[in-house]
Amino acid sequence: MKLFFPSAILIAALALGPAAARADTDTDAEVAAHRAVLDLAGAFTNDGFKLRDGDHTGTLKPGEALVIQVNLYAGNQYWFSVGTSDPKTMVSVQLYDETGKLLKTDPYTNANRAATGFAPDASGPYYVRVADTLGTPATYCLLYSYK
Amino acid sequence: MIVSRRILIGVLALTGIHAWAADEAVSQLSPADLAQAVKQDNFSVPTPGELLAALNKVGKPNWQAQYRAPIPTAYTSRPQIALNLGGLIADGYIAVEAEDSQQVKNIGKDILTLAKTLGINQNVLRRGKSIEDFAENNEWSTLKEELEATQNEVKLAMDEQHDEELTTLVTLGGWIRGTEAVSGWIANNYSGPAAKLLRQPAIIELLRSKLATLPPKTQEDELVKGLDPRLKSLQDMVSFPPGQTPSQADVKKLNDAAADLISSITKR
Repeated sequence: MKLFFPSAILIAALALGPAAARADTDTDAEVAAHRAVLDLAGAFTNDGFKLRDGDHTGTLKPGEALVIQVNLYAGNQYWFSVGTSDPKTMVSVQLYDETGKLLKTDPYTNANRAATGFAPDASGPYYVRVADTLGTPATYCLLYSYK
Repeated sequence: MIVSRRILIGVLALTGIHAWAADEAVSQLSPADLAQAVKQDNFSVPTPGELLAALNKVGKPNWQAQYRAPIPTAYTSRPQIALNLGGLIADGYIAVEAEDSQQVKNIGKDILTLAKTLGINQNVLRRGKSIEDFAENNEWSTLKEELEATQNEVKLAMDEQHDEELTTLVTLGGWIRGTEAVSGWIANNYSGPAAKLLRQPAIIELLRSKLATLPPKTQEDELVKGLDPRLKSLQDMVSFPPGQTPSQADVKKLNDAAADLISSITKR
């Protein structure tokens, strides 16, 4: 596996504007979480990453974690980014292989936004785990980018 | 690119951002975690573009060689239309990789024609116009995003008109066509790293599980009824262990099976 964390991405992340509008059915919290994650993930686009036009949104209760399956291709590089609706919350995101083993990735955490970068050597299923680290309920939005 | 932790910390300190290793992470997910993991169509199943992007890393595919003849657009079965819509969207990705604006426009028109027969043309029509404009201006990167957005618009429109079950078929059609095209290129330009890209066991497992939950009326469709055994066969071919490399003959066999299935899906 390869790790990567272009520092330009971090700097670009700070300069990004507000995110696009969401569907009418989304709650205010979901819109805020989506905006938070786009502030971060949008920066990867500047480094040639394509943002997958799909996300997973939900609410984490204290002590709970989300685990979602993804299918990755060897040779591609991926960033998984998560944001929450409340800036006072703190969130983390990790990646596991198909046996459930934690993978070494490039982690990035900034309070209610986090990302992890990974370039798989093997194609197949992987698992993304999103956890709130302060024990505060939070609405989150998870998405990924690839190149 | 590997960036040392020291540089990373320096950058973060300068920007006022706090970063640290995710020490709260659990080191091993339990079997229950894996079994209960969320599997979501528009997140867990990669787009055809992701597979094509990976293939571009291990070779220089002649994408035009993976074109197929124009398919019929006058089907009466809604499941069949949905499957072919997915296949056409995959064709769109292939045409974008080939940077062939006329082919992109042709496929865009076929997508619109099929979408109209399902009565879901409103937003998709707008996307179709965008695809034509972007193709005209050779905006290939934007076109990939537009194709993905088109697929999502199609699925959203299906949801809105209570055709949710058809969204699985759109995804399935795209996956089969993408697998056909990629395995076709690999079979003719064989290399181990390229062949290993074809390992996609969980994708087809997820799609088969979704097929099994389709409403009885959809499952009774002649085409849908015959899908599962053939998908099981495809699943066996893409479920090799992580360290194993399929032989050229294995890839050819997969390509034949995917092509045969696509042929059934497009047959009137």
